[in-house]
Order: sequence, then C-alpha cells, then structure tokens
Amino acid sequence: MIETTIPRGTPLPRIRPWLGIAAAASFVVASAMALFWAPTDAVQGDVYRILYVHVPLAWLAYLAFVVVFLASVAWLWTKRPFFDAVAVASAEIGVLFTGLFLVAGSIWAKPTWGVWWTWEPRLVTTAIMFVMYVGYLLLRGLSTDFSRRATRAAVFGIVAVIDVPIVHLSVLWANSLHQLPTVLRIAGSPALDTPMLVTLMVSLGAYTLVYAYFMSARVSLELARQGRLWTRT
Amino acid sequence: MIDRIALVAARELRAERRQPDGVVAAVTFIAVLVLLESLVVGPQIARDADVASALFWLALAFATILATMRSFDRELEDDALEGLVALPGGRDALFGGKVLSLAVVLVLVAAIGGLLSLVLLDLPVALPLHLLVVVLLGVVALPPIVVVDVVLALRLRARAALVPILALPVLVPQLVAATRGTSAALTGDALGALSWAGLLFAFAVVYTVVGLTIVPAAIE
Repeated sequence: MIETTIPRGTPLPRIRPWLGIAAAASFVVASAMALFWAPTDAVQGDVYRILYVHVPLAWLAYLAFVVVFLASVAWLWTKRPFFDAVAVASAEIGVLFTGLFLVAGSIWAKPTWGVWWTWEPRLVTTAIMFVMYVGYLLLRGLSTDFSRRATRAAVFGIVAVIDVPIVHLSVLWANSLHQLPTVLRIAGSPALDTPMLVTLMVSLGAYTLVYAYFMSARVSLELARQGRLWTRT
Repeated sequence: MIDRIALVAARELRAERRQPDGVVAAVTFIAVLVLLESLVVGPQIARDADVASALFWLALAFATILATMRSFDRELEDDALEGLVALPGGRDALFGGKVLSLAVVLVLVAAIGGLLSLVLLDLPVALPLHLLVVVLLGVVALPPIVVVDVVLALRLRARAALVPILALPVLVPQLVAATRGTSAALTGDALGALSWAGLLFAFAVVYTVVGLTIVPAAIE
C-alpha cells in the first residue's frame, strides 16, 4: 500500500494559512526596508537596491535544488511518495526563482555593466542550472508510470545538484565581472554596512518564508494529485 | 563485480565489432563537424587552439550520446536488456560494462577524430604526451554521465531530444576542463594541461561512483 497523504503528525495543513500571513507580512516589511530604510550606496546609488531581491532569489534557487537533492535521496531510500512530492514541488519553485534570479541579475547588469547579458561565468552557470532543472521537469513530464517517473527524476535530481556549488564558486574560480561574495566571505566579516546587512537578512528571511509557503501549497496539491491517480488505478 | 563488468564490456565490444554502426556514426559526425568548422568560421579562426579544442570536445560529447543511445537501442531491439538486468548484480554490471566499453569505443573515435582535426586544420602540437593524457582522461570522464542520462530516458518518447537536454548541462565542467586542457597541451602550457587533466580524472571517478550507487535503481 503506497501512502499518498501527508505523513501523520505533519502540521502542514494547519500552519499553512499562518505561513502565508507571515510570508506576506515579512515580504512587505523587507520591501519597505529595502526601498526606504537601507541607505543609498556610495558607488551605485539607488540601483543597488535590487540586491535585496537578487540575493534572496539566488539563495532560494540554491535552497530549492538542495531540497530536490535531499528529497530525491529520501525517495530512493524509502520509496515514500511524500518525498517525490517534495522533490517536484521544490524543482518547480526552484525553476521559477532561478528564472527570476536571472531576470533580476540582467536588470541589475544593464546600469552597472552596460549590458543585459554577458558571457560571464556566474551568469552562464546559472543559466545552465536553469536549463538543467527544466530538463528535470521535462523528464518527469515524459514519464507516465508514477514509480518509474519518481525514480528517474530522483537519480537526475542527485546528479544535477553538483551544479549548485559550481554556480556559487564560479566567481572565485574564474576572473569575472561579477562581484565576489560580500556576506559569506573567506576573508572575514561581511563587507556590508550594518543597515544594509540587516535589510538583506530580513529579505532573506522573508523570501525563505515565501518559499516555505509555496512548498506547503504545492506539496499538498501534488499529494492530492497522487491520491487521485492511485484511486483511479 | 569486476568480472561481471568486464563480461558486459567484452560482450558490448564484440557486438560493436560485428556491427560497428555506433563507431561509424560517431566518427562520421566528428569528421563532418571538423570540415564544417573550417568552412563556417574560416581556416584562420578554425586553427585557433581554443576554437579547435572546443569544437572537438563538443563533437565528442555528441558522439558519446550517439554511441550510447545506439548501444542501448541494440539491447532493446534484441530484448536483451531484461535478461541482463535479471542476472545477479546485472544492473551494476550493466552500468559499469557500458561505461567501460563506451570509453574504449570513444578512445578509438577520439583517436580518429583527433587525427582528422590535426591533419585537416594543420594544428601544431606543442606537448603530444600531455595531449594524450588530457584526451584519455576526457574520454573516460564523458561516458558515466551520458550512460546515466540514457538510462533515465530509456523507453521514453522524445528520447533523442531529451538525452542531450539532460546530459549536456551536466557535462559542462568536463567539457570546459577537456577544452582548456587540450588547448593548453596544443600551446605548450604543461602545468595547465596537467591541472585540467587532474580535474577530468576527479570528475570521472565521482560520476562513476555516483552512477554505480544510484543508477541500478533506475534500470527497470
């Protein structure tokens, strides 16, 4: 008997409305801080404020694909459909946020680098990561049998995760236009003014809550879909 | 385990020798690309070490996909896959054997394709031994990923389009390392060539271990 419901004891349905409210409220607070409270950058002026969207989107892209990897390992280990639902939900949300990450980066590149797109390692590896997970979703879409689809997707989800560190470290490995890490620096403390750092941390928290809300909703939908599939067969 | 892998690889190579359509298709593909390259970009640009290396490895990546798909098609046509998978340890042996036999086939393809590139483009080779090491390790680094992706797309519709979409993005680090290493060997940068060769070796080991660990679960 394959379990296609949310595991017993999971408070997911009960906390979802509260998660939604917390995500929306923190998103409003983070946006207000980014637009009105954080100081203007001495070099880039107000253009830099896209940082408070761009960096959280990058973080969510990484987070989403690492969750795909963990859920894929869990599916192969336990064969519980819940983990396949988590993997597909996180992959879809990850593709959405990676797409937005590329768009936000492109908007930021135009006033700072003078071009919408340039053949720069961070940009190219991010675009490759995007294509990779579109491929993951394609692989899922082309498979019909539930168990085979989940297994094939899980194997690819494990293989593809290697691109996440490659994207992150590409700015260190190659001479590039992209700026070096400013928060997680090997050299020491973050190279950001305190109000800027606080605003960035609040934005990261807010976007993570948005991800958690999207995940809870999409996982529930996927489990309901799996349930219908099993009832029909 | 090693015995079973060797058995599958030997069987695969025997099949390839009797019906060498995979090798012929891969070599022809590389030859066509080398000829097209000099026509499209002009002989001066085509002879650039970076351009020639990049095209060679892209062609070899596609050739690997062609040869791997042909190899699995042969199994499906003969209904041999079920029998192979049913054997004890058959799934691991299938992955390991395919990777090993493909690496051998690709050495042949790379040797012919490489000689064609060197002759047709009149490329000077500053460090032949380094070039040999880079090409050998590059050839070993490609098959594990491609076999994984062909297994994942087995029996799916639109498989011919899906396999390159899945494989090429994952192959990017190997292709970059192989291209840079080859270019370094052609231009006389010994340290660069060996560093990239080391990276290729690391990728080959990592993906072979990952493949042997998780691919058996995907073979049905």
